Amino acid sequence: MSTTETTRVVITESGRMGRVAYARIAPNEDLVQGVEKMCLAEGFRNAFVRGGLGSLVDASLGTRDGGYQQISGPAVEVVSIAGEVRSGADGVPVASLAGIVADTDGNVYGGPFLAGWNPVCMTFEVTLEEWIPDGEEPA
Amino acid sequence: MSRTLQSGYHRPRMLRHVGRFSPVRIQSMHYQSGRHIRLLLQPGRSLYDALVRPLQAIGVTSASTTILGGHFDHLEYCVAPPDPSGKAVIAYSSPIDAGASFMVFGNATLGKDMEGRPLVHCHASVRVEDGSVKGGHIVPQASIIGATPISVLVTALEGFELRQAFDDETNIPLLKPFKES
Repeated sequence: MSTTETTRVVITESGRMGRVAYARIAPNEDLVQGVEKMCLAEGFRNAFVRGGLGSLVDASLGTRDGGYQQISGPAVEVVSIAGEVRSGADGVPVASLAGIVADTDGNVYGGPFLAGWNPVCMTFEVTLEEWIPDGEEPA
Repeated sequence: MSRTLQSGYHRPRMLRHVGRFSPVRIQSMHYQSGRHIRLLLQPGRSLYDALVRPLQAIGVTSASTTILGGHFDHLEYCVAPPDPSGKAVIAYSSPIDAGASFMVFGNATLGKDMEGRPLVHCHASVRVEDGSVKGGHIVPQASIIGATPISVLVTALEGFELRQAFDDETNIPLLKPFKES
């Protein structure tokens, strides 16, 4: 890339909320990939998490040095969660989820949920609201 | 208990559940739009009553809610250790008395139980009476809203409903989406 080229960064994106979906993700499915697959199932390209709660076998949260912290269960309960799903040009939804989890003594830990490393224990309930940027029609 | 892992090959742990594996791993339903409501949880009422009754009065029986921070005069929560009876992989503990508490953030799902009564499933992080921050499954009937109303953003679910149904795989009743009956 030449030094004169710049990458276009969208800082603000106007749009509107679209459909609302609720899913129950079954045991041993990954939380992050489960949310991504839910978007594939429902045809959501972009979405915000409107609510989520459930339990994980063990939780894996990213740390600032690039490692991860594993909180041992079962079960580790997800007690707060926020996040979004964005799809690139290839149409593949990518979920970015962060939150607070509680271990079997009620002690809490927080950070980003690592994709592939947060298997659901009993159930995970998630509500997504579709985000439709201006100029894009829903899938 | 937690541990920080820096290197080496690890893999996430799976559990074998008591019942038969279900081939459907993600049960989802959607509606063309959400209906949003700002609800104020009223002082002195249980979290259950403060959530369920005002929403019932405006016809909302299935919803996903975000409970913003607020004081509780009394709060009880459960954690989820392994089930010693072996009937399921885990079971909720006896309620833990957190005393007068501040709920930092919570999510609650409203649906119907197996008998058709309102059901609230709530997880939250909480600053408990001794000052420590804890988290778990909140007992909505036993947790009492403090002196100041607490704001809740409600996303009402329309076009389908949430009902508790027995789940063969985990051997416990769970909330799932169904077409409206």
